[in-house]
Amino acid sequence: MLLNDDVKIEVRETFKDLKDKIKLIAFTQKIECHYCEENRKLAQVISELSDRIQLEIYDFQQDKEMAEKYGIDKIPALVVMGEDRDDHIRFFGMPGGYEFTSLIEAVRTVSGSQSALSEETRKYLDGLDTDIHLQVFVTPTCPYCPPAVILAHQMAQYSDHVRADMVESIEFPHLANRYNIQGVPRTVINETEYLEGAAPEAALIEKIKKALE
Amino acid sequence: MDGMDFTFTKTSSPKPGDKTYDVAIVGGGPGGLTAALYCGRYRIDTIMIEKEILSGGQMTTTEWVENYPGFEDPVLGNQLAKSMESQVQSTGVSIVRQTVTKLSLKGSIKEIQTGAGTIKARSIIISTGASARLLGIPGEETFRGKGVSYCATCDGPFYPDKTIAVVGGGNTALEESLFLAKYAGKIYLIHRRDAFRGDKIIQERIFKEDRIEIWYNTVVKAIRFEDENDRHIVFSKKEKEEKLRVDGIFIFIGMVPNNDLFKGAVDTDEEGWVITDCDMKTNVPGVFAVGDVRQKNLRQIATAVGDGALAAYSANKYLDE
Repeated sequence: MLLNDDVKIEVRETFKDLKDKIKLIAFTQKIECHYCEENRKLAQVISELSDRIQLEIYDFQQDKEMAEKYGIDKIPALVVMGEDRDDHIRFFGMPGGYEFTSLIEAVRTVSGSQSALSEETRKYLDGLDTDIHLQVFVTPTCPYCPPAVILAHQMAQYSDHVRADMVESIEFPHLANRYNIQGVPRTVINETEYLEGAAPEAALIEKIKKALE
Repeated sequence: MDGMDFTFTKTSSPKPGDKTYDVAIVGGGPGGLTAALYCGRYRIDTIMIEKEILSGGQMTTTEWVENYPGFEDPVLGNQLAKSMESQVQSTGVSIVRQTVTKLSLKGSIKEIQTGAGTIKARSIIISTGASARLLGIPGEETFRGKGVSYCATCDGPFYPDKTIAVVGGGNTALEESLFLAKYAGKIYLIHRRDAFRGDKIIQERIFKEDRIEIWYNTVVKAIRFEDENDRHIVFSKKEKEEKLRVDGIFIFIGMVPNNDLFKGAVDTDEEGWVITDCDMKTNVPGVFAVGDVRQKNLRQIATAVGDGALAAYSANKYLDE
């Protein structure tokens, strides 16, 4: 059993204030990698905890056009999106351990049950005319990581110009290598700028500005 | 990562509003959580403010807790944290997940500024805890997060079969070395003295672990990770400086108090630890302190929970007066 009953009860309770319907999309493949299977099962279990959540499962190989449509270039992957609106929120690697909270938060964020961004942040994001890609590298055992992921996802939900990925470092060692990740959380902004730790909103905005210079 | 658990915490929190609480607890480690539990059971209006996503403080970065009574088998740090938090929530205490930016402790109504507004309370229990002490050597700041770490559970997985140095000789350094030995191929455990301070039971395990090589009487002088092909630390042993190739370094050399919020407003000792009496009272009326941030001889979960119970008792009495 993937989630124990206590956790299920708590999540079901939390999902009671979901507003809009959301889609939870899992990407796996025919011969499932270990975490692909767990990730798919996790999506299935979560979708059963609220009638506001619609589950879709695609095969990374066979459903190529869907993978392309959602910008999925590696698996396991999850997309959390509105019924007919992609908020550009992605999870690469299974959101287990502390990251489970980030997944539940993403569902709540997309469903419109909360918006926690400050006014300054929203103002700045309103003025964006270039695309921003945030990749937040994590490990599931890092208690400081979810705040960084949740912040990035909230920005993605708020602005059409922002896409935010959680990336589980251990499942994608080549990416951890490419971006020189040796400590988490570490946020990569448009391939050029880096932010260490669970920094406040303003610090991430500063780095985004720098990446756009 | 097999048998991974799924840690869920509700991150949203009630807006503080205009009301004045009886007690505000700043920080949600074991001391703060116990104070919250007792306050909740006294039915005094209590709010706890925690900056992280899950309460528990340093318990959330410890894998196993073996010396907290009541658990014959070791309990996971984050599970103990989660249980303590749920127990607090069951008493009706509100937990707000916010970073406190400013504290005003004078007068009969104290004010706590957070990102979500100002919280007012008649008394305050400070449980801000302690953070990792830095070595203060060249390269430490530069390579923080790029090979220099203070959190084994967070960053340990980046060193599969790699070579790392661990600095320190107390319980944390020893326990975290054992945790890191699950990943790293080789660990140099570097301690400046000729014997460890950590509990003998943990020392015994350290001595049995093949992957851990102990270097006593050794001081790390610099961290040089500039050259990817020659990442090393500089150390001195018997006055002689040498270099050691490592992929990363974990530093556990003790703690410093998290006292930025009340520097100058509450009496502390020279190192900044808050001075209280045996009822957890500080020199400021209505302000109490518990857990690692206090001046004390032993910083443990077991001692923090005792502090928390006493502080709640004292706060309750203070409110009655």
